[in-house]
Amino acid sequence: MLKLGHRVLVDELPLVMAIVNRTPDSFYDRGATFAEDAAFARVEQVVDEGADIVDIGGVRAGYGPEVDATEEIRRVASFVGRVRTAYPSLVISVDTWRSEVADVVCREGADVVNDAWGGHDPGLVDVVAAHDAALICTHTGGLRPRTDPHRQEYADVVAAAITATTAYAERALAAGVAKESIVIDPAHDFGKNTFHSLEVTRRVGEMVETGWPVLVSLSNKDFVGETLGRPAGERLSGTLAATAVCALAGARIYRVHQVRETRDVVDMTWSIAGRRPPLRAIRGLA
Amino acid sequence: MTRVALVPGVLALLPEYRSLQDPVASLRAACLDAVAWLGPSPRVVADAQGSRIAAALVGAAGLDTPPPSGSGYSTSGRVGGRVASASERIETTEEGVLVVGNGSARRTEASPGPFDPRAVPFDDALGAALRGPDPAVLRSLDQQLAEELWAATGSVTELAGLLEGAGLVDVDYDDAPYGVQYWVMRWQG
Repeated sequence: MLKLGHRVLVDELPLVMAIVNRTPDSFYDRGATFAEDAAFARVEQVVDEGADIVDIGGVRAGYGPEVDATEEIRRVASFVGRVRTAYPSLVISVDTWRSEVADVVCREGADVVNDAWGGHDPGLVDVVAAHDAALICTHTGGLRPRTDPHRQEYADVVAAAITATTAYAERALAAGVAKESIVIDPAHDFGKNTFHSLEVTRRVGEMVETGWPVLVSLSNKDFVGETLGRPAGERLSGTLAATAVCALAGARIYRVHQVRETRDVVDMTWSIAGRRPPLRAIRGLA
Repeated sequence: MTRVALVPGVLALLPEYRSLQDPVASLRAACLDAVAWLGPSPRVVADAQGSRIAAALVGAAGLDTPPPSGSGYSTSGRVGGRVASASERIETTEEGVLVVGNGSARRTEASPGPFDPRAVPFDDALGAALRGPDPAVLRSLDQQLAEELWAATGSVTELAGLLEGAGLVDVDYDDAPYGVQYWVMRWQG
């Protein structure tokens, strides 16, 4: 069972989390949904395309102009409230590492806090627990928020990701976050070079075997671009290949830009793996 | 007294062929109601594949599960012992018989088998004989033609015997949603 804020998911089907950026400078959409109405139109679109979760972010993950908590709250909080009002049953996630931001957005109706920076703010787990929200526990290899890896290496990157994310999960559990509301994420490209991200993809089944539900965030990332020699706008095929590998291994949540394509790949792979019946099969069975 | 129900041998009714959206939802509902009406441990008249479908329906209706039958059209053994709940029970002196069979799979261009203009008239005549019921017509069914038309009528001869002196209770389903003629019918005699 997975409990994402107000939503309890009793089946074991995979979930698609759509990225909704309220940022002027994110790497893929480059500010296309920075304006509130544009971001809301994006929510409408991804819900129509089959997203189970929207992940709203107000700060670009990479380097860029400083965005303090006040500005992040200004970008995200009221927007979360607007989405909650329009879509009462939609699971709303907010991509933030700051506990003060998490507190405000949970009051506005957010169900999930996606801490892409691996527990940098030690108070975040307490805020998530206080709101009975869900938490995404990521691995960043110890990087500070909004920094890139430089000559970072691991004896075993998957072991490091498992150790860090499960320790974070246990810390969240101890703080009072419900066990069924904790998800782990190896965090492709965060504190990882392309070889690391490829290995994490290849061995993501080891993370699934921990028993914690696994989220993967693969969408259009640099490890896809470097592997195929493709710029940001031409990485869909590579992203979907990585998605299929993770789906076959049993990763549960997929954080993506392209919802419809991901939905099809994940559902198809899940069905090939024998975990999801076909939508509607009658050929040869009538 | 005997209660007899006819259901079609549709593989989509089997749990191993379950879809997220049931393509035979209304047919399944009619089948389950008819099987429940038979009461526990119905005797099954079907071929091997039909017996699997009968077992699945009996299990899904909350009744005893009959064992898979052997090869060919024959009457499988009745299962004794445990009696599960049924929406409607019959007197212990009554016998319940579940027959598996259906009409042609060559009715239209969209049918599983290539279209044959003889299919719809064949089904119409068979349907009328089942409704009657008219055991004499059922007994004289042209099995060669049935085979050519991809109709699953191997159980009809035994059904004819069961329907001697019986009356139609209801036609619960009469449709061909995928180009195959399905009936769910109940008789009592």
